[in-house]
Parts: sequence; structure tokens; C-alpha cells
Amino acid sequence: MSQGTLSAPAAPAAAAPPRGGALKRLSRRNSTVAFLLTLPLILLILGLVVYPFLYAIYLSTLNRRMTRFIGWENFTFLLSRETFWNVVFQSVLFAVSAVLLKALIGFILAHVLHALPAKGQRKWRGMLLVPWVIPPAISTLAWWWLFDPSYSAFNWALMGIGVDPVPWLGQAGWARFSVILVNVWYGSPFFMIMYLAALKSVPDQLYEAAAIDGASGWQKLRYVTFPMMRNIISITVLFSLIVTFANFDIVRILTNGGPQDTTHVFATYAFQVGIQSGDIPLGASVSLFMFPLLAVFAIFTLRGVNRRSKEMA
Amino acid sequence: MEGNGISRRGVLRAGALGVAASTLPLVNVHGQSSGGRLALGLWDHWVPAGNDEMRRIVMDWGQKNRVEIQLDFITSVGNKNLLTIAAESQARQGHDMLSFPTWEVHAKADQLEPMDDIMGRLGEKYGALNPIVEYLAKVEGKWRAVPAISGSQNKPALGRMDLLKQHAGIDIQQMFPANANPGSAAGNWNWDTFLKAAEASHKAGFSFGLPIGQFTDATDWIGSLFRSFGAELVNGKGDITAKSDNVRKVLEYAKQLCAFLPGDVFSWDDASNNRALISGKSALIFNPPSAWAVAKRDAPQVAEQCWSFPAPAGAQGRFTPYLPYFWGVWSFSRNKGAAKALVEYLSQREQAELMVKASNGYDIPPFTSMTDFKTWETEGPPPGVVFNYPVKPHHNAQQFIACYPAPPEIAVQMYNQGIQAKMIARVVQNNETPDRAIAWAEREIEGFKRG
Amino acid sequence: MSSTTATPFVPAEIRHGSLRRERRWALIGAYVALAVFVVFFMTPPFHMLMTSLKSSGEIADLSGNPWIVAAPTLQNYWELLTEGNYLVHFRNSVIVTACTVAISMVISVMAAFALARMKFWGSATLATGVFLTYLVPETLLFIPMFQIIGGLGLYNNLWAMVLIFPTLTVPFCTWIMIGYFASIPKELDEAALIDGASHLQMLWKIFIPVALPGILAAMIFAFTVSWAAFIYPIAFLVSSDQMVLTVGIVSDLIRADTFQWGKIMAGALMAALPPLLVYAFLMDYYIAGLTAGATKG
Repeated sequence: MSQGTLSAPAAPAAAAPPRGGALKRLSRRNSTVAFLLTLPLILLILGLVVYPFLYAIYLSTLNRRMTRFIGWENFTFLLSRETFWNVVFQSVLFAVSAVLLKALIGFILAHVLHALPAKGQRKWRGMLLVPWVIPPAISTLAWWWLFDPSYSAFNWALMGIGVDPVPWLGQAGWARFSVILVNVWYGSPFFMIMYLAALKSVPDQLYEAAAIDGASGWQKLRYVTFPMMRNIISITVLFSLIVTFANFDIVRILTNGGPQDTTHVFATYAFQVGIQSGDIPLGASVSLFMFPLLAVFAIFTLRGVNRRSKEMA
Repeated sequence: MEGNGISRRGVLRAGALGVAASTLPLVNVHGQSSGGRLALGLWDHWVPAGNDEMRRIVMDWGQKNRVEIQLDFITSVGNKNLLTIAAESQARQGHDMLSFPTWEVHAKADQLEPMDDIMGRLGEKYGALNPIVEYLAKVEGKWRAVPAISGSQNKPALGRMDLLKQHAGIDIQQMFPANANPGSAAGNWNWDTFLKAAEASHKAGFSFGLPIGQFTDATDWIGSLFRSFGAELVNGKGDITAKSDNVRKVLEYAKQLCAFLPGDVFSWDDASNNRALISGKSALIFNPPSAWAVAKRDAPQVAEQCWSFPAPAGAQGRFTPYLPYFWGVWSFSRNKGAAKALVEYLSQREQAELMVKASNGYDIPPFTSMTDFKTWETEGPPPGVVFNYPVKPHHNAQQFIACYPAPPEIAVQMYNQGIQAKMIARVVQNNETPDRAIAWAEREIEGFKRG
Repeated sequence: MSSTTATPFVPAEIRHGSLRRERRWALIGAYVALAVFVVFFMTPPFHMLMTSLKSSGEIADLSGNPWIVAAPTLQNYWELLTEGNYLVHFRNSVIVTACTVAISMVISVMAAFALARMKFWGSATLATGVFLTYLVPETLLFIPMFQIIGGLGLYNNLWAMVLIFPTLTVPFCTWIMIGYFASIPKELDEAALIDGASHLQMLWKIFIPVALPGILAAMIFAFTVSWAAFIYPIAFLVSSDQMVLTVGIVSDLIRADTFQWGKIMAGALMAALPPLLVYAFLMDYYIAGLTAGATKG
């Protein structure tokens, strides 16, 4: 129901005769229309997300052969496993550090691009977007080739300057670094674009006003840019965090979780347990593990976003 | 999809995609289709010619038996074949017959057609099978799949004759020549000799390329290493028997060996060892002849020096890593009769010989009586390179799958999570004592035991 | 750089010399930062390009420089285009992506309009809830999905992707569109309502034309996501003629432990071409579309 009609006191006189009943009828009809408009969305989500999701929850309460209901047992079993806690640790490390780096790099790049004269911007922007446009499953293969023990082009270059070859994927520390690096490489341009869009939406007058008040560059960033970008930062970070937590291809292709399970994230571990070792319910439990935590985080973030956009409007 | 069965999907596609659909490659079998339709999902062979030959054999059979064939080759890359098996078992539709890798027959046994009749006839005709396929495909006394020829592979040593002779003083071609008369050094081909050779090659800059990650190439050779030391983690009854001197010994040995391997073998996958050999950086790997075949194309000077020969022996014997595939028919298939008939046809000696030939000797038939094909003698250069790839009587070796004889539902988890490789990694990378690594493995395996 | 010193924006003040210098340093800093990141971002694609121009013999040869191609050949590209199923995969990707984008846009524009402009019972919850669908990972969904897709008879069928991909694209597109619609002044609908337009007419005649940049931005997002999707295709498509590019490249060009690196790289670069073109030509709209919706979110 549009508040617009109600808050336009001058209008009704010229248009239809104002009657309470008509308005009510209109509003009822409107919600029917609104419901119909959202129906495809609702059906899509109920049919292809909510229903399979509930089914997956059900799966996670079954035993290995899927013949018996065992309740929480899969989860309590996971919590008692050393390997699983490694996976939790690595997933958090992977997602959080990758998202922070992506956000930071995206922010820097957006700023730098924004400062460029419009003519040069397009060229740079194009080059900086390349990682985001190559399908990640395949660009990860290319990275993998760069990390290959025998053929690593990185190591070739390092040897050229007299540095020992690096076991990119062979040692826990390096392997963790490598999977995060690839994720950052792939995801930063997305942040850059989102931030660039946000920056462009900050009215120039605000900066001019700040300049007149004698604000330094940092102060402008702190008091003008940040507040104006907060929503898009929250949304982008939230979106990216969720997607990064669910990441599968990068780890799967680069290390398959090795060495010694140190790079396993939820998705790859779930795959190994569920599909490769034939314990689908346990795999489903692994995948479900992060859901409650992320959901809480997401709900709070989205509430903040909604509140701020209401304030702004 | 190939073939042109007029299915609901076919109609839908033709309707929806219009002209585009007509550009599809149609390899066809058109008969009166009295035998119905058959959808097959076979292992996507690494040798393109392997697929071609398989397609020819299957299509010929289809034509003769008036069965319409739809044939997909499903790759094992990225475990696509496992995904397919999971998908079809959940959806209860898809292909009639699939190639099942190692452990999947047990996992899906209750959805697979019994094959006892076929196995009985094949056994009468071709004699003994190796015990590993029985362990993997006979569930509660019933054969649930037939051991496949296409895709089944051994992973014996594949070494460089020149490098090993020059740096380690071992003439592998003389030791295991392309005939049934092994050289005098063959008796001495054990893990101790292997260690010395690894050290010498490492010092010369040609470290052995032995992966110790979680991929099958790693699991398979390590499984054989453990077995030949008599190091068993779980016995046939499912009891954990990891705390033993043999396990300690094998871990000590692995630690010594790892000093002579490249530093990042712990993350190597099934292709890393191939590349190490092809690039000329490595003197020895454990692999089917695929590495050699690629070298023949990309690095002929390396290929000329390659030679397949048995894995070293340990105190308990010689065990050649073996990775079989199986042909199974879904119980929800609508054309079980035709599917089973085809499986039986594919398992005959004549077809086996064709497949082995087309795959440059890569495929290993399950029957010992089929290890005498000409292909293995003639394939080259160097001629006879794969003569010793199938297990021959004079090798005194057995084919072996890692984690045998643990009950398969435990073994599959140990196998796919690379427990043995991780034990080695703990001892080497984390500098843990063997006892700590064993204690860790016991805890892990304890977790695998739950139903 | 000289163009910057001549920039007309510098306010004519006494301090303006120092300001100019400051700006110049800022700009130099900016270019340095850009250059660093461009090198980081472009290294793998550059290496891909070089590898795609090599014969497999040269790729396997360790004595050469991996970053430079000694004997360039287009053979990899040629073989991809003339042999095998690469073109079929490409066509499938185009079909799936086009359909997905269209479906996503219809669903999300309609829903976003209702959610942004016609507050109704549960609309706020729905707007948040839609975004939360991303919390359910693909790796969890594909197993139950086997049964749904199987039940519909769409297993191993291209069209299953058209059905599933919108779950990946619609939530974010809806969010972009809600933001964009919210940024359109309320006076517009008032005027329209006064003229007696229904909500549907309003959406069709006013909102969609006005919101075109936002729609374009959402379309580009949907395009990128469905072009690059990997998990569902690899789980649901088995026959080579049904596969889309991502899974086609992985399953046709890697044979067990043998990688045809030259072709993989060539295939990847050609697969990156359509999104690259889209971004090259539509980037400004994309940013403009996001811009309007951005602060509202």
C-alpha cells in the first residue's frame, strides 16, 4: 500500500472522489497484486531452496546407510573429531581473511579509480575486472598450473632471482596462503565494482562542504565516504562472507584439503565425507554446521542496513 | 549423449533447440530396436583411442542385438563419476549400466543387480580372479558387479633406465626384461634397495616422484608399502590393529624415504607424479603407463628411457598397487537383461584384447589368464616398456588395494581420507613419533567404525 | 599526467599551488597502486594466454621460459573449434545463461517492485529472507536436488540448469532492484496513481524504463553468475552434449591424469570472452545501475 497516496492531500480533490471504502478496497487489491508479483520468487525459493534445505536437514539426522534416524548423533560425532575442528578453524581463517583482504583491496582500488580522470578510468577498470570474468573453476586450474611442483612458473621466476622454490601447496602454511591468495584474486574485483558504484553515488557537495570545513583527506574518508558507503560495505561483505564460506572449487582443485587436512573448508570436507567416503548424512551435517552462525550474522547485518536506509530515506 | 534414441528428453531438446540439435554428432545404431534401449555410462578413458574402441565394440554389439545404445563417457576427474553414481542412486534414474570405481560397489550394493550368473560363467571359462576384485565386488556372498577391463589399472614402478643405471647402479631392464626370465638383481629388488636408489637419485637431482597426499596414486603405492611390511591398521574383522611393530617399522622407513623426496609431495595429486617424470625431473614413479604415453607425445627423449617394472618387495612379499573398476547394472534399470548381456559380452577375452590394445596396454583384465596379450610385449618405444605392467607369474607379486582386508565400509573412509599417507605426513612434516601418529590414526579409524 | 595539472577543477585560491602538488602526488600514488594490482590480477591470465599459444611439447619442456612462448601456435584454439564438443558446450552455456538471465529478471523485477513499493504483510521479512537463501550452500543442496531434478525427469538435461540457476542469481538481483526502485522518487507513483494507472501499468510504463540502469546491472550480475556456475553443472550434467562450458572444459580436456594444458587455457580464455565483452561495453551502465541502488540498499 503506497503511503504516497495518503500523504498527498492536494491530489484527491482533482482525481477520484475520496471514499474510505474505496481506499480500503484498493489496498486489499494491492496486496493481492503484490502477492502475485512476488509469487514466482516465493515458489522458486520454496521449491528449490527451502524444500531441499529441509530435506538436507532430515538427511543429516540419518545414519550412514540412510536407514535409521539417529537425531543429533552426526553433529555430536563431528564435534568430537579433531579433524573437524581443524576444518572449522581453516574455514574461518580462509573466509575471514579472504573477505577482509578482498574488502580492503576493493576499497583501495575503488578509491584510486574514482580519483582518476574519467578517460583513463575505463581502461584500468577493464583490466582490473579480468579475474572476475573468467569462470573461477577454470582460472583456479590456471593457478594450480602456476603452483605445480614441477612446472611452477612462479618458482621458475624465483629461481631466476636466486630464491629457493616454494612448496606452494605442499606445506600447511604455504598451502593456506595459496588458497586464500586465489580467492582474493578472484573476488577483489567484485568489491571494487560495488564500492566504485557506491563512491559515485556520494554527492560531490558533501565533499565540497567538508573541504570548506577544512577536512583532511582522512577526515573526508572517515566522516563522509564511510557513512555513505556503510550499507554497501555491509551488504558486500555479508554476501562475500557467505559465498566464501561456501567456497568449493578453489580448495578442491588446488589442494583437495591437503596437506594433512590443513586446507579443508566445510564444502570440500563435506564432499570428501559425503560423496567420496559414502556418508551422505555426515556430509550434510558438515555443510549445515555454519548455517546458524552465519544466519545470525546475516540477520543482524541486514537489519542494520534496513535501519540505515530508512534513516536516509 | 550419443545415439539417437527418441526419448522424451530427445523430443524436448529437438523442440527447444531446433536447428542446433541437428548439429549434434550422431553416432548411431538404428535397428528395429527389438532389444530396447540401453543407456551406458562408461569410464572416460585417458587414451582417446580407448573411448573410440569401446564405442565401436558397444555399438557393434547394439547393432547385432538390435539394442539402441546411448553411450556417455564419464570422467573420473573431479570425482565426476562418483557424483554421477550418487546422483543416479538418489534420483533412481539415469543410465542402465555404469562403471563403478573401487569402493562404490559396496556402497551401492543394495541398488545393484546380482551378477552371480555372469561371474559363474566367466569363471568357468577364464579361471581364477585376483582376490581383490572379490573383496570389492562380492557383497554378502553375491557378486554385485563384474570387474571391468576398461579403466582397471596397476600402478607398478615406472622408472628411467638411464638415470637409475647411472646414478643408482640399477639396470632395471636387465632386472625385469621383456620376457619371463628376470635378471639376477630381481631377487634383491626390495624396499631397502629402493631406499638406496632413492637416495642416490635424489643426490643426483632426480628425486623419485612419490606422492603422499590424499589422491589415489598416493594411497595406492603407500597401501602396498604398508602391506609388504605387514603393517595392517584394521584387520578383516574390523578390529583396529594399528599399534604394532610393523606399523612402526613402516613409518620409520617412510621417514627415511621422505628425506629423499621433493618437499611438497604431501600435496601431490594423481598428475603431479606424471609431470615429474615427463619433465625429466624424476627417475621413478608408481603409475600406469599413462605417464609414459604422454611422454611419448610431449617428451620423446624421456619416453624412450621409460620402463615399467614391479614394485619392490618387503618382508611380507611383493604387492603391486591395483585399482579396479567394475561394471554394474542398477536395480532400477528398465533393461536389465540387455545390460547384463552386454556386460558379459564386454568381459570376453576377445573384447578384452581389443581394449588392451586400444589403450596401449593400460587396461588390466581381472583374470590372470588374460595377462598374456601381445600388446604388452610389443608396445614401445622402448619395445617391451609395458611388458611387466600386468602382474606376471615370475614377479612373485600380488595385486593389492590399500586398506585391504578391513571391512569395506571402514576401508573406503580410510582410503579416501588417506589415513596412511597422513600418518607418514605426521611423522615427517610434524616430526611426530610413530607412536603418536599411530594413536592419531586409531582415533580417526575409531570414528570410521560407526554405522 | 600533464592533463591533470591543467585540470579545471582546482579552485582558484592562494593555496592552489600546494593543492595542485598534492593532487599530483595523489595521482602518482594512484597509478602506482593501480599498476601493482594490475600486475597481480593479470599475471595468471597472461600466463594462460602464453600457455594457450604453446604446443604440448613446449609446455612439457622445462628448459624454456614458462612466461614466454617460443614458437607460438594457434593449434589449441583451432582444435577446440574444429574438434570435440567445445562449440556445443559454448552454445549450451549461451542458451542456459540467456534463459537464466531472462527468468531471473522477470522474477526479481516483479518481486522487487512489490517489495519496494507495495508494502504488504510479510514484505519486510520476505525481503530479508530472500537474501538469506545464499546461506544454504550449493554443496548441501545438490543432494536433495538430485531427487527433485530426477522426479522432474530433468537429470542429465541442460534445462535443469535453467531451472536451478535462478536460485543463485535471483536473490542478489532482487536486492539490487529493491534498492533501485526505492531510489525512484515517490512523486512518480503518485502522479501515475492519480492518472488512474494500475500498479502493473505503473511497473511496466514507468518503473521499468526509469530503472533500466538497475535492471542492466542486475542482468550483468545474473549473467556473470550463471556463466561461471560450476557445482550444479558438474553434479547434474553427464552427457557431453548437455554440458556447459565450465564442466565441459574440465571433463573433456582432462583425461584421468593427463591435462591438455594448452587447450584448457585456450578454452578458458575463450570462455572468458563473452563476460569480458559484456563488461567492456556495459560497464558504465553497470556502475550507474548499482550507484542509484547502492546507498539505499
